Amino acid sequence: MNDFFEIEHELKKLRPARPLPQFLARVEQAMADPEISGDKIIRLNRFGLHWIALGVGVAAAALFLVLAQVSTDRGAKQSERIAQNSPAPEPQSTSADQFIPTGATQVVYNTRDEGLHFTDGSEGPMRRLRYQTRETLQWRNAQTGESLRVSYPSDEIVLIPISGQ
Amino acid sequence: MENVAIHEDWRSRFSELAPGLLLFARQWVRSRADAEDIVQDAFVRFWRRNHAIDNRALLYATVRSIALDFIRRNSRRARREAEAVSESEQVVEPQFEFADEAEFVLAAALDRLPHDQREVLVMKIWNELTFAEIATALNISQNTAASRYRYALVTLKKMFLPQ
Repeated sequence: MNDFFEIEHELKKLRPARPLPQFLARVEQAMADPEISGDKIIRLNRFGLHWIALGVGVAAAALFLVLAQVSTDRGAKQSERIAQNSPAPEPQSTSADQFIPTGATQVVYNTRDEGLHFTDGSEGPMRRLRYQTRETLQWRNAQTGESLRVSYPSDEIVLIPISGQ
Repeated sequence: MENVAIHEDWRSRFSELAPGLLLFARQWVRSRADAEDIVQDAFVRFWRRNHAIDNRALLYATVRSIALDFIRRNSRRARREAEAVSESEQVVEPQFEFADEAEFVLAAALDRLPHDQREVLVMKIWNELTFAEIATALNISQNTAASRYRYALVTLKKMFLPQ
């Protein structure tokens, strides 16, 4: 390769164009924030909003069922008293109002460290942890033995301040 | 604390590698902005997959793969750009910082090299990869990498340093 010493020397004198500071900052930001990246990366928070909405919906449905159960119990007691004095009403049985909540579980199936994140207004970097969980709610109809089970995934993001020297 | 240190290390290493990586990406795209997008995508992907920062062969292979994907996705645009460049016979944004006319001539000669030779030259001269690393990145043998490098130097020597 000694024959090429001179041309190699000339080539090494050529300096590649330096990247703009904005570019370095952009890459640094992309490393800190997983949401900022190439278009191939799936942004989980897009779905997160839907999961939250779904979670709220399911919780509201559960609350409705609980209240409906309480309301039905009161109605049943009242109808017993009325039945002593009047003909018994036609039994109106709907399976939905007899479902009672039997359990709720939350299983964390994945924890991911998403690196350092600089949030607006924070003095230092924060470590961003994403917990991926699956929440399951169950109801059971004591009379018919039917059960209802709703399960949905959810994401929880936790920011932990980092302190260093 | 250790994670902060690691992050710092990656940042500083990227600052060192960025000029060479951008030059490497510019072989496939004329626009600096496109090259920046390719390098960013490659570097962030490389970092997320927890590869060792010293695994340069894999890093350059990632840049190359993403650049080729980029070309496939934007082939029509790239063709228009290539036609525009060949018509005007000039590169819109310089890939080097020129100190004098001789450097400009040398860079122009470099641009006329066959692509496979220029690729090896860029990796060797401005990114300081070994032939073993180049061979791994390009999925060729070390002998092939060394031959391409030698051919590139012979061609440039004839063009730039005529006897």
